[in-house]
Amino acid sequence: MTLKMRNIYKSFGANDVLKDIDFSVEGGEICALLGENGAGKSTLMNILGGVLPADSGTMELDGKEVQFSTPAKSLDAGIAFIHQELNLVNDLAVYENMFIGRELKRKGGFLDAPAMIEKCREVFKRMDVDIDPTAMVRDLDASYKQIVEIARALLMNASIIIMDEPTTSLTDPEIERVFDMMRTLEGQGVAMVFISHKLKEVLAVCTRYTVLRDGAMVASGPVEGVTVDELATHMVGHQVRTESLRQERELGEEVLRAERLSGDKFHDVSFSIRAGEVLGFTGLLGDGRSELFQAVFGSGGRYHGQLYLEGQPVQVKSTTQALSLGLGYVPRDRKENGIIKDMDILENGSIVTWPQQARLGVIDWGRVREDFQKQREGLKIKMDSEKDGIGSLSGGNQQKVVLAKWLNADPKALIFDNPTQGVDVGAKEDIYDTILALAKEGVAVVVLSSEAQEIIRLCDRAVVLYHGRVQGELMGEEMTDQEIMRLATGGEMRERVESIG
Amino acid sequence: MDNAEKNKTGIWERFRQAWRRNPLFSTGVALIVMIVVQTLALTMNSSFASFGDWFQNWLFNWISLLRNNSAIGIIALGMTFVIISGGIDLSVGSVYVAVGAFTMMLLDTGANGWLQHIGLTGAPAILIALILAMIFGGALGECNGLLISYGRMPPFIATLGAMQILRSVTQYFMKLESPTLPESYKGIARLSIGGQQLMPILYWGILAAAMYFISRQTTFGRYVFAIGSNERTTRLSGVNVRKVKRRVYALTGFLVAVAAIIQTSRIGSMDYASAGSGFEMDAIAAVIVGGTSMSGGRGSVVGTVFGTLIVAVMNNLLNLIGVDPYLSAAFKGAIIIGAVLLQRKDKA
Repeated sequence: MTLKMRNIYKSFGANDVLKDIDFSVEGGEICALLGENGAGKSTLMNILGGVLPADSGTMELDGKEVQFSTPAKSLDAGIAFIHQELNLVNDLAVYENMFIGRELKRKGGFLDAPAMIEKCREVFKRMDVDIDPTAMVRDLDASYKQIVEIARALLMNASIIIMDEPTTSLTDPEIERVFDMMRTLEGQGVAMVFISHKLKEVLAVCTRYTVLRDGAMVASGPVEGVTVDELATHMVGHQVRTESLRQERELGEEVLRAERLSGDKFHDVSFSIRAGEVLGFTGLLGDGRSELFQAVFGSGGRYHGQLYLEGQPVQVKSTTQALSLGLGYVPRDRKENGIIKDMDILENGSIVTWPQQARLGVIDWGRVREDFQKQREGLKIKMDSEKDGIGSLSGGNQQKVVLAKWLNADPKALIFDNPTQGVDVGAKEDIYDTILALAKEGVAVVVLSSEAQEIIRLCDRAVVLYHGRVQGELMGEEMTDQEIMRLATGGEMRERVESIG
Repeated sequence: MDNAEKNKTGIWERFRQAWRRNPLFSTGVALIVMIVVQTLALTMNSSFASFGDWFQNWLFNWISLLRNNSAIGIIALGMTFVIISGGIDLSVGSVYVAVGAFTMMLLDTGANGWLQHIGLTGAPAILIALILAMIFGGALGECNGLLISYGRMPPFIATLGAMQILRSVTQYFMKLESPTLPESYKGIARLSIGGQQLMPILYWGILAAAMYFISRQTTFGRYVFAIGSNERTTRLSGVNVRKVKRRVYALTGFLVAVAAIIQTSRIGSMDYASAGSGFEMDAIAAVIVGGTSMSGGRGSVVGTVFGTLIVAVMNNLLNLIGVDPYLSAAFKGAIIIGAVLLQRKDKA
């Protein structure tokens, strides 16, 4: 089957998300769809999957023009969309999951389990994988779950399968297993669209690629002969580099040092940061940077390795201990980890320092208010009354309130995890100013971000992680979009050219 | 004319807004309506010679209503904190019976009395018994708290287990005992002020005020709200969430102990098989009717006092108008459901 999408346009309000996109895929090929977050990949695939309508443009299946108003219609036409988060019921057997909602029944309405199991076996045989259809899904490892999802698509006679970052949660051998299966299907004439950030994987399994950037198609062609570097350049583009905020600062003593930290999602990570320094950590989804620093802050699981604070070995076991040691952590995912929705602005912006502002457990709200007002001015938080619920603020202002509670705690080292996630441009600059001001005051600042630009503009130094390991460390001018992307997608560190003379 | 019209809708509009936004407002209005109906029922129930006669009748009715509900009112205060923190405590009725039995064994004037056995009698014995009883209640609550915070057990299950264990063990130990309490102990609740036994009401009032203060002005109280609303964020703000949770259950155990002391002192004995059974549901009902959210994070001590009173006034009312006692639980159920329906927030 051949799919052709032509001149696709889509906009949300004034925001053009897709501009004149041509995309095609045919049976027996695996086409990579590449692009940074927000480049328009998901929107394009949602149009194909019948989730969103296009503003204009045409879609053809085998030369016939089609339109999908619902996901079900797209599925009927043979297009299956496998989302990033798996859609399986853990407490049901494999065959029950494969037939969920479309169970085979005998006369009288009883389930025909033997027939369903037999059908599953046929599909697995065709895919050349060995899965017992009667096994419980919860007992399968992540790669087999991914394969069951793909098998379900085949069972529905899908001839075009869209996979959205299918390898994010898989380990290397598991990824290889999924790839083998994809190659088998490729040989059988199934068309696949592989959405991924991981360029090495793209080179390993795909035959063609299409790169989107800011809603426009910027490159496409056969994978053969293309390098990771070239793809990375296409993805990032040669945008005008926004002005760097890096500044000369007097660095103080070492504040935080980690030696060979290993946990579930990170391995053998060592780093050191001095007072007044801004150290970046970046990588792709699943690089383990959040888990690493949650462990440092005492809220992650167990880990091995040694942490030193101002030269003293410390074992951080709880967030309370971390706070008393002078560590701070502004978490990612504001809604889940940053704000307390039933509390007001003042409480959200001060909870960290309540113990300091309390005598015998009774909070001195007057002092709390004073401290918060100081931060409010510095951070330029726009609000009516501090008694209003935190939900009444915009995302950027909410994030500033989360920052405020940590600034009052006067930490020696402050970790920012995706500090500008879901924040508008103006607030972003305010937050950058705050971070740099902290560094100037001698706080050791760690910035975790998936945005290369953020790292480049803010940080003195950046550590790039890949699958939980340090893939490389970049200093000052070495930090470029391309270099970060190359390391983050698994490229090797270049040899530093020693200057002679 | 036009202006008056506007003003009228203004008041109505403000009333509606307050009703929707502030759960305390709606519970308060409901309570006032209940009280008006109750007063009417009381007035029509019998004829009074004079206003003074009526007033005395009204007052005595209220005093006995408040006194009879003081124990559950005190337990509901603890339950409020538990539910705001996102938990539940089903063991309050069993803790109540366990503390009651423990106190009575301490003070037994018979041959088996523990304190008497070591030569302690009179006021010092009572004082020590009270302190030990409160510590015991707190410790039993602490056990729940440890299971929930360090054992990572769902509160429902941990306290369901504790509920079964405590009642059964209490009954086992007490099957051969029949302690009698010293007369002076009964003064704790029966001490009369102006010819009326007001002490239980006083204890309830003081504890309610204290709990209100704790819920608004202390780190512990605010942490309870924070944990119920978003436990992850609270932990990531450096709060020792486990310690706070542990203390919530210990505090509830302490309050249950106070309730047990008041009741044993009032009644002078305890039926270990049935005393306190259903207290957990009555306390939860008071908290819910008072506008506290079952999912945690939102609620208030004042609301719970209102909630306790709404249920109490309704029972009193049913009594006054002579509804069959078998039906009183049905009305209680209807009040709970009605209250929650009224408190529903309009969604988008």
